[in-house]
Amino acid sequence: MSPRTSLLIAVLIAASTASGDEGISHFESKVRPVLVKHCYECHSAASGKSKGGLRLDTREAIRTGGDSGPAVVPGDPSKSLLLSAIKHTDPDLEMPPNKPRLPTSIIADLETWIKSGAPDPRTSTTHPVERPPVDLESGRQFWSYRKPLMPADHSKGIDGFIRARLAEHQLKPAPEADRITLLRRLYLDLIGLPPTPEQAAAFSRDTYEATVDELLRSPRFGERWGKHWLDVARFAESNGRESNLTFPHAWRYRDYVIDAVNADIPFDRFITEQISGDLLPARNGVEHARLLTATGFLAIGAKGLNEQNKTQFAADVADEQLDAVTRAFTASSIACARCHDHKTDPFSMEDYYALTGIFKSTTTFYGNWIDSENNNHGHLIRLPDLPRQVIPGRSLPPDRVKQLKDQLARLNADEQEQNDYIAKAKAEGKDLSGEFHKLLSNALRILWTRGGVEGQLEAVDEQGRALPLCMGAKDASKISDSPLFERGEIAHPGKVVARGFPQVFDVSAPRPNKQSGRLELARWLTHRDHPLTARVMVNRIWHHLIGTGIVRTVDNFGFSGERPSHPELLDYLAVKFMDGGWSVKAMIKEIVMSQTYRQSSASHNAPGAIESDPDNRLLSHAHRRRLDAEVIRDSMLAVSGQLDVSRRPGSLVAELDGQSVSMIDFNTKLPSDLDGTTRRSVYLPVVRDHLPDVLEQFDAANPNLVTGARDVTNVPLQALYLMNGPFVQAQAKALAQRVMNEAPSASERLQRAFALCFNRAMDDREQALIETFFKSARGDDLARFTAICQSLLASAEFRFVD
Amino acid sequence: MNTLSNFRRHTSRREALMTMSSGIGWLAFSALAQAKSGIAAKAPHSPARAKRVIFLTMRGGPSHVDLFDYKPELMARDGKTASLGRDSSGAKLFGPVHPMQQCGQSGQWMTTLYPKLAQHADDLCIINSMNTDLPNHAQAFGQMHTGSFQFVRPSIGAWTLYGLGTENENLPGFITLNPPADNGGAQNYGSAFLPAICQGTRIGGSQLPDLYAALLNKDVAPGPPMKNITPAVSREMQRAQLDLIRGLNERKMERDGVHPQIEGAIESFELAFRMQSEVPEVLDLRGEPESVLKLYGIGQGKDQFARQCLLARRMAEAGVRFIEIASPVQWDHHNRLREQLATCCTATDQPIAALLTDLKARGLLKDTLVVWAGEFGRTPYAQSGDGRDHNHKGYSIWMAGGGVKGGLTYGATDEVGHKAVLDPMHIHDWHATILHLLGLDHTRLTFNHGGRNFRLTNVSGTVAKGILA
Repeated sequence: MSPRTSLLIAVLIAASTASGDEGISHFESKVRPVLVKHCYECHSAASGKSKGGLRLDTREAIRTGGDSGPAVVPGDPSKSLLLSAIKHTDPDLEMPPNKPRLPTSIIADLETWIKSGAPDPRTSTTHPVERPPVDLESGRQFWSYRKPLMPADHSKGIDGFIRARLAEHQLKPAPEADRITLLRRLYLDLIGLPPTPEQAAAFSRDTYEATVDELLRSPRFGERWGKHWLDVARFAESNGRESNLTFPHAWRYRDYVIDAVNADIPFDRFITEQISGDLLPARNGVEHARLLTATGFLAIGAKGLNEQNKTQFAADVADEQLDAVTRAFTASSIACARCHDHKTDPFSMEDYYALTGIFKSTTTFYGNWIDSENNNHGHLIRLPDLPRQVIPGRSLPPDRVKQLKDQLARLNADEQEQNDYIAKAKAEGKDLSGEFHKLLSNALRILWTRGGVEGQLEAVDEQGRALPLCMGAKDASKISDSPLFERGEIAHPGKVVARGFPQVFDVSAPRPNKQSGRLELARWLTHRDHPLTARVMVNRIWHHLIGTGIVRTVDNFGFSGERPSHPELLDYLAVKFMDGGWSVKAMIKEIVMSQTYRQSSASHNAPGAIESDPDNRLLSHAHRRRLDAEVIRDSMLAVSGQLDVSRRPGSLVAELDGQSVSMIDFNTKLPSDLDGTTRRSVYLPVVRDHLPDVLEQFDAANPNLVTGARDVTNVPLQALYLMNGPFVQAQAKALAQRVMNEAPSASERLQRAFALCFNRAMDDREQALIETFFKSARGDDLARFTAICQSLLASAEFRFVD
Repeated sequence: MNTLSNFRRHTSRREALMTMSSGIGWLAFSALAQAKSGIAAKAPHSPARAKRVIFLTMRGGPSHVDLFDYKPELMARDGKTASLGRDSSGAKLFGPVHPMQQCGQSGQWMTTLYPKLAQHADDLCIINSMNTDLPNHAQAFGQMHTGSFQFVRPSIGAWTLYGLGTENENLPGFITLNPPADNGGAQNYGSAFLPAICQGTRIGGSQLPDLYAALLNKDVAPGPPMKNITPAVSREMQRAQLDLIRGLNERKMERDGVHPQIEGAIESFELAFRMQSEVPEVLDLRGEPESVLKLYGIGQGKDQFARQCLLARRMAEAGVRFIEIASPVQWDHHNRLREQLATCCTATDQPIAALLTDLKARGLLKDTLVVWAGEFGRTPYAQSGDGRDHNHKGYSIWMAGGGVKGGLTYGATDEVGHKAVLDPMHIHDWHATILHLLGLDHTRLTFNHGGRNFRLTNVSGTVAKGILA
């Protein structure tokens, strides 16, 4: 340390010890933010983690320390492990882990603080260090495995819970956002489109509730909120992984979800349909088709299609389904127990194999035929014929059907012939090793050609007319329990485990019996006593509206996930959700009607006060949010006047030739950004590993994973897309043409563009900026207006909601 | 509009944030603008021997017993029935189809089909004891890239970028040149659950599968150099437009008070603007002297791979962390091994040797790890009379530069080259070793996703200390 810094520190110490307030102020400005940013992730009650038995979020905890001793010894930096850890003096204890050493200035700040007696106002009660609840007894005590109860005092609803916590921390809520901010927030959140200038003009605070109701009734609502569910359902129109074959019928599930969300099908029913629609009674063909399509949820996952071992393939498909169901509906990672008991949650291998039996007693229909990339033929479900049914598949001329049938017969005959030949040789003891490769390549020829022929025939009727088909699941012909496979290896089956549900849950639902058990699984998941299903869903809704979950790890309610910031609020919402008939729309309305939702995103708390909650977990103000990829694209189409709100019949994927995605880049019929339409983004093709440009750049969910909360990144590739992407340029030009048509003078045109893009007037500074640009830029009016419009579309204001 | 004064205004805002008494503004800003927008260089876990990787992917499964794994016993037993278990029943052992020779001071055995590469024998660390889990292309290709043949996991390039950040924020930190579209396609350079910024940026279209390329009579590597990199308007116009966007964003910030996301957005537009000029600069080979072009074989017949190798050097020089190039030919030689192997070696010998020469001459080889690897090897016994089948139990790869011992033959297969028996190097061990060379501890390079700490090497992997220089 240089003499000058030590002098500085001495001065600081003198200053901070001189007055207790200043010591606290040093803590608040220099120490607490560092602890929050660099340490709380692994050492705090909020994160639910206390690595090495250590928590750093209270005065007592930081002084008591963890397994290695006290983290902070007031007045004695040399004995304070926190300091040696961040200084990296001990190679076995370097903090933060796997990261470069903190800047020297920060270390000096902490040293100063410890030297000055470590003044620390964080006096909240210490909780004992948590250990993973891996056994049933402690599991049943863990917060998320206990059933939610209506808190005694819930008369003030959402705002009551939020404000009580704010008051505890001497924070006050922000006032309501201004009229236009609020309206934009509501439109973008509920239907994923900005309000038109006319809608904005008509809106007042008095019409807020009516506007909420109107938006909830709009068909655009299902397109926005359906997409949230499609993220969770890992919806995709191709298999992904090493055999990325298309799913030309997956779009039916997409439409099912949009329609179900628009119709506000009760969420418990929605779950039941997706897991066991095939087992539910249907009043008519329309309903039957709808219920079969719903089971597409189980079929759209990524599969190891070129797996050669059928038993392994079946085990992997069941595993994928189990994982998707448990993550999507219960935010649990039960699939971790395939090879060993869960390391941090009370799920045993018995629990895993009890559920596995249900999926192994199920046949999955996914529609990929055998070819060089696929060893596992997946059939399709034939839907009932209905009036006005969309059937995007291509019909074949009747003579083509005959040709295919003849070819199939020939291939079957060839196979029979070869099999007979081999059987005969075997019987005669003849050595075939010399002909091995000839026989093998003939067998492959038969297998791969036949796959394609069968695949084509399966999609048409006798006359060659394309059939209505869907992906989905049905009970297998053989219903059976699964053995427990040691280490998850199919070569090592152990005792058989009766089909059933994880034991930690105290839910008295009927067990699987004669059927696969999917219906019982759905009944169990949606049982009033199930501790997770309702909580997980209301938390997902909260996340989308508020910008962060009450449990921030929305897909992980286990021990390694975070704890709820407002546990009572979560339970209040969960119970209310179930009591209100599992209506998603009612839940959304409850949240958007709250003052918590409506408050301004600007904090009205003093800078000092807000530092105690730098992440805004307590919601003293609204979170500012970057819009989702789909909303960015749809908003551009809306303001440019190009948006076509009609539903896309079928999907681009349904119209591709063949089933392999590896050729997609070379298909000259397809637009290079896989977009090329002006319909809403929910109808863009979701090909695994080949997402349309806008979805890929702006953090659309990776359809290989169950995703309740998307990443929000800010990378230069997004800027390149906004600057150079053909889609953005086209929308900018259309917007320029629109304002040139709609307004006569340059300044009126600009005002119109601002009203369309931001629902507000351009201010003087902005006008000056634009005029400067307008004068300096070359080109005709259209070119210059286009450049200006593109700048508006590319500006941050366009893709953020305040 | 004066860009400079804008920049000053912007900078002073940043300074203001940094010096804010609370420090919160700065913390929030750095979290969003740096951790999320660019991916700043980070210190490794331990001193790094390699700063970057050039990964030459030899898709298809090159025949190790013909290229690097010298097996006199296999020659001696040529034509004899193999007794290597069920898979080989009835098959005949098949000696190397081309002569091999000892090369360099070290006397490493190499094929005579690689005369130029042979001159670098003393720089190569040949690993003859590689093994992987499955003998299928797609799974093994995926496992080579992500450690997993079964699940969607981040690519080794993504892990590297996640662990080390980038040295040049004006360029993507992980670039893959014309990757094959099959065998898992984009997943092999994907980031899976890692932050999206770690994903490999594809330059050039994806490679058309060979069969289709031949059928359609198309170049195997079509497409624009990179998505959205070419401005539709003049640079001058775009600069003016960018200044306008920046002005609008700054106005918004003035209204909102602190808004770190917008600070981040301003940064990322500036980065994109620089990337727009730097990417084409790196891709533009016109400035390279004739001697260098000649060294790689550029301008002589089919030179796409040669150009890619030179691009790899230019990217390494420019600070790209992980560069992957796919072989222009596939090594899946089930038949006509003799002819096909010669074609493959000829297509890759000069460019790869030139890359090593060039890196060395510029002092880059010492901290650039060059890796040559396919997804598996081939059987010592014959298939279709004159080819070999897939073999995942033992095969060869080589690495050079970046802290590996040159002139070393590491590990060994059994006497015919079927199975790794001495110092076996599983994919997990190999990944652990590469990360180690980069200064990353494979057990500490983890990412928590869905409640579990994931790593490239899953739950295994041992660093092969024996190959460290």
